[in-house]
Amino acid sequence: MTQLLVTQILNGIIVGTLYGIIALGVTLTFGITGIVNFALGQFMMVGAYAAWYLTDVVGLPYPVALLPAVGVAALAGLVVDQLLFRFTRDNLVNGLLVSIGLIAVFESTALLIWTSSPKEMNFVMSGSLSFAGISLPKTKIVVFATLSAVIFLTFLALMRTWLGRAAYAYSQNPEAARLMGVRTQLLQSGVVVYSCALAGLGGALYVSLYSLEPFLGGMYILKGVEAAILGGIGSLVGSLVGGILLGVIEAVGSIYLPTAFRDAYGLILVVIVLIFRPSGLFGER
Amino acid sequence: MLFWILCLAVPLVVKAEFILTIFIFGFILGVLAISFNVIFGYAGQLSMFNAAAFGISAYATFLSMERLHVSFWGGLVIALVLVAILSVIIGAICFKFQLKAFYFALVTMAFAELARLVIMNWGSLTKGTLGILVLQKPTLGFGDMAIKIDSTLGWYYFSLAALFLSALVCRGIVKSWIGRAFEAIRLNEDLAQTLGIDIFRYKLLAFTIANLLAGVAGALFAFYTGYIEPSYLSTTQSLDVIAMVLIGGAGTVLGPVFGAFILTGLPHVIELSAEIRSIAFGTILILTILLLPRGVGGSLKMLTIPWWKRLRERRAAGRAA
Repeated sequence: MTQLLVTQILNGIIVGTLYGIIALGVTLTFGITGIVNFALGQFMMVGAYAAWYLTDVVGLPYPVALLPAVGVAALAGLVVDQLLFRFTRDNLVNGLLVSIGLIAVFESTALLIWTSSPKEMNFVMSGSLSFAGISLPKTKIVVFATLSAVIFLTFLALMRTWLGRAAYAYSQNPEAARLMGVRTQLLQSGVVVYSCALAGLGGALYVSLYSLEPFLGGMYILKGVEAAILGGIGSLVGSLVGGILLGVIEAVGSIYLPTAFRDAYGLILVVIVLIFRPSGLFGER
Repeated sequence: MLFWILCLAVPLVVKAEFILTIFIFGFILGVLAISFNVIFGYAGQLSMFNAAAFGISAYATFLSMERLHVSFWGGLVIALVLVAILSVIIGAICFKFQLKAFYFALVTMAFAELARLVIMNWGSLTKGTLGILVLQKPTLGFGDMAIKIDSTLGWYYFSLAALFLSALVCRGIVKSWIGRAFEAIRLNEDLAQTLGIDIFRYKLLAFTIANLLAGVAGALFAFYTGYIEPSYLSTTQSLDVIAMVLIGGAGTVLGPVFGAFILTGLPHVIELSAEIRSIAFGTILILTILLLPRGVGGSLKMLTIPWWKRLRERRAAGRAA
């Protein structure tokens, strides 16, 4: 029993980092542009298909394919930002609707190109680490390490550099930040593109674990938003911890409670957190 | 007024079942759009519970007819009472703890998801993902005089009447002191409170009214299509309703109905594959949001104001700025 429990907790942590990378994108975009890009899950799908295509069809080695896959997601993000999101800054509802439109466009385009039949990528890395009767596939560990490292580096970059101070100043007082020489337009576009790239990275790593289908993104954006709220909107570490917490709760919850309600456990937790601690677990009061 | 007369006259001109069907869907989803407009367009709260109220009412109407052997109307009343109770509980939780904007949307969405999961997994009652086939049809009148509504034409006028009544209710609320309280809350909640408006009570009222109207739409939709499934309660359905209202124009009585027509009608008029249809839906949505921020209804309303008045207003606004 403990073995099962520990395995589930570890699995939860790994899936949780995937939630966390989306949550990081949600937190950053919401803090700087005032909207939630609900199409982030679809950018994840773009990154995932790009990585799969470059590896299995073009024939690049998987680690080499990761970078261009992230690039494709970032480029898509740049186009979408300049054409659409530029006009919905600080308008939550319009941003929401534009992203719903984007979801429809992205998913149906993917359906047209790749059809709904799931794609399996060839195994990237075989073998697993065994420890005290618990075995974990090596790929999962690599995915976990990469995502945590990216989230941590983002955190460092925002804490230690001028860019981070500019972003913080902007979220405190946009007008004053502009007067102090922060290039606000560039900052906003940059954040949108960066969050798309993060989602793309999540997707590119996702292919090494699970099979691909055009609708994979829908669930992850919901989980990402939940994780961002659990951790507290605006808190970078909070988004990682929120994601892991959510992953672990779902994984452990489905041992003891009916699996059919798996998606509900996280939601109940989010409602409780929002009611008793509206700024999230790590947010400022 | 013109809209209603035109709608009454349509079946005299158009005989094609196919087109009348589109109208019926437009009318029923129009009721749903009106319901969302009450909570969002007037009271300014982004509720994601509409689809849940729509689906719960569809299930409850059918199940009370089947299990308790009441008529369609009896079932509808039972369903609406259930929806009202749920709305008050959920609304009270949200508004007591002052959840606003994004947070309110998320919590109502969480409750909607919970409702969907319960319905999906309560197999013995709801048949889960298989869905329920509804063979009964609503009747009008009593005893031997009762008319069964099952022809396309019958449904056309039946759903038109439902839409008319909903629009009437919505208009009545908007023009009364309740509507003014809603508007005050939307424009500035703190100010509304200082003016002595009990924002908790009015928000709860808006949420309940919206869900009741959505419930009516749900029951009609279920009995028209003859099929109920858990996807009625899905988040996608809620988002579609938001799209209808914003495309049609939030904060106008009939705008959302136009939105419902555009989103249900347009994809059917042009024969397209499912994928292309979905791409068209997304593109229409994005273009309306960016190009017609007042929605189609709001833009048409602007056209009725003579151009010189519009120009004068714009100049005045320019001077003020």
